[in-house]
Amino acid sequence: MKLSLTRQALVLAALSLLPAVGEAIYFRGKISWQSPIPLSEMVSVDQARAWGEDVIWVDARPDADFGRDHVPGALSLNEDRWNQLLPQFLAAWSPGKKVVVYCSAESCDLAREAAERLRKEAQVPDVFVLNGGWEAWVKKNR
Amino acid sequence: MNHTPNVQRPTPKTFASGQLNAEVSAESAQPSLKYRSLKVFCWLLALVAAGIFIYAGAIKMLDPVQFAHDVKNFQILPWPISVALAFYLPWLEIFCGFGLIFRFFSRGAISILTVLIVVFTLATAAAKVRGLDITCGCFGHASQHWSFPAHLATNLGILAALLALWFSNRLARQM
Repeated sequence: MKLSLTRQALVLAALSLLPAVGEAIYFRGKISWQSPIPLSEMVSVDQARAWGEDVIWVDARPDADFGRDHVPGALSLNEDRWNQLLPQFLAAWSPGKKVVVYCSAESCDLAREAAERLRKEAQVPDVFVLNGGWEAWVKKNR
Repeated sequence: MNHTPNVQRPTPKTFASGQLNAEVSAESAQPSLKYRSLKVFCWLLALVAAGIFIYAGAIKMLDPVQFAHDVKNFQILPWPISVALAFYLPWLEIFCGFGLIFRFFSRGAISILTVLIVVFTLATAAAKVRGLDITCGCFGHASQHWSFPAHLATNLGILAALLALWFSNRLARQM
């Protein structure tokens, strides 16, 4: 079929739309169009601090960042050494405790991924992601 | 009785023209060989470029949730648009990849893929300049720990392949 370049591109773009719409319908329950992390799974610095002793802070950043500085009492649990660090976390955790996971900033994704793994793989309930991450913590504690 | 009246003996003139025909066909065989090798080159290049995009598209298509977060992490687009792109871009890459292989709207496919790779490269460079801690979702988890130079080199390699494909296709059409 001989079509101009623009028409060829438009046809391809339109064809791709069909399966994309189908996939969006299929995944409608697994992703929110309003917020990257459902609001029910996020917590602010102030709110998390108000929970006091009932909280386990989890630092999902790489070892080097954790070594430089971290939230007092936080446990390191990063993707690189997940299997090594998980037992240490599970030993500190007990049912009823809330878990707050953070990474470097709002732009990083490590906290969300770690929180998801804790919920799915370790079956830990009440896992929250710290809104704004380590950056927000530093701002509040300057 | 061996005489065959209808067969003409080759005159010097007809002999000369036969020789000329042979020369012409030898000359015309030359461009056809060039044309064929250019065609093979185009096809191989298309296969490699298409393979990369189909692989990248398929990986992202299988995990659109992760890809939506990867797009969001560039901090260029609002979340709902990141989600829409996470569903749409992988399919666009796959369709264009197959377009290249099966020569189905291949010019359109090359131009779309070229625009995509340029946009991806600019977005990666912008993220680097702004000092964002991002994981590129280009090839799903396979590219999670890629350094910025590795990203840039891969993207520029793909861009070079697409441009070579575009120009070699044009050359093949002119021959």
